[in-house]
Amino acid sequence: MNSCPQAEKIVDYCLDELTDREKENFQTHLKTCDICQRELRIETAIENELSEEFDPGFIENRIRARLQLRQAQDMRSFWLYTFRMAVYGVTAAVAAFILIPLLLKSLLGSIPSLSQCAHEAAELLGTLAPGNVFIMVLGFCYIAVFVVSMYSLVQIRR
Amino acid sequence: MKSTNDDLENLIRRAQDGDEHAMSSLITIHKALIFTIVLRMTNDYDASQDLTQETFIKVFMNIKKVKSAEHFKPWVCMIARNLVRDYFRKVKRSKTVSFEMIKDFHGQSNIDATRRRMIIQSALARLTEKDRMLLTLAYYEGMKLDEVAEVMKMTPSNVKIGIHRARKRLKKQLEGYEHELLSAG
Repeated sequence: MNSCPQAEKIVDYCLDELTDREKENFQTHLKTCDICQRELRIETAIENELSEEFDPGFIENRIRARLQLRQAQDMRSFWLYTFRMAVYGVTAAVAAFILIPLLLKSLLGSIPSLSQCAHEAAELLGTLAPGNVFIMVLGFCYIAVFVVSMYSLVQIRR
Repeated sequence: MKSTNDDLENLIRRAQDGDEHAMSSLITIHKALIFTIVLRMTNDYDASQDLTQETFIKVFMNIKKVKSAEHFKPWVCMIARNLVRDYFRKVKRSKTVSFEMIKDFHGQSNIDATRRRMIIQSALARLTEKDRMLLTLAYYEGMKLDEVAEVMKMTPSNVKIGIHRARKRLKKQLEGYEHELLSAG
């Protein structure tokens, strides 16, 4: 149906991708070629249709109302999230301070108390005896388990 | 052009401070662009209205992230594009063409024009999401090539090639309807 080899250039012509010389040549060709004239009219019809815009009507108030509702919901869920995180945090802390001593008891046969740890740690600052390193490690364990518990709970919640 | 950008910058800044009039103005300026993009992508008038509203809600929820006016339009278009993708994930594929529901806002009720619109729209619906988006953005008046590139996350030269190919594919889809397109035009 489309037998003109120049018709390939119509899209380039419409997109203004031809050089000045090519454009000039094509325009000269257009004057005498019925096939290209017809193709160009189709291209223009497509272009006119695609450049048409549609108006959704007056939606400004609806958007603002929905935005306010969404922001209120977000605020509610923010407080709910904060509350949940606080509960998780307390649970994690309690778990850390109950489970670790129990674990240590089963491993070592005795539970070092918190005050004992603190006392030993204070002494360590003055004299760092190799035997007391164990107490320091224990302190770090408390902190590490607490942090890991919190992080895990946040991930689970997500 | 500079003053238009300054005005937009001012509106964005006011909207960031929570000014509702500025928000309304931003919606008024961009709603036809977003609605046209979404409608061309989904073919569904009601869904397009919802998605347009959803786009602006997302825009205003995140408006503090906007640093300059020149990136605002592409950013809004990108939000709309992502929402359309989510919509497609939910409904799988576009539904029947409901373009006849569109009121002709020029006041004409031209059957030929409506038919031409439906022919082109259904041809458009057979293209890939990327092709449709490229054509919709490229032919929307006032949308610059580098803005299209920003929305599509492509380089301007790739956008040019993409539009070229998409247009050829659209024309192929319209084979057999040339006569109707010409008579309506």
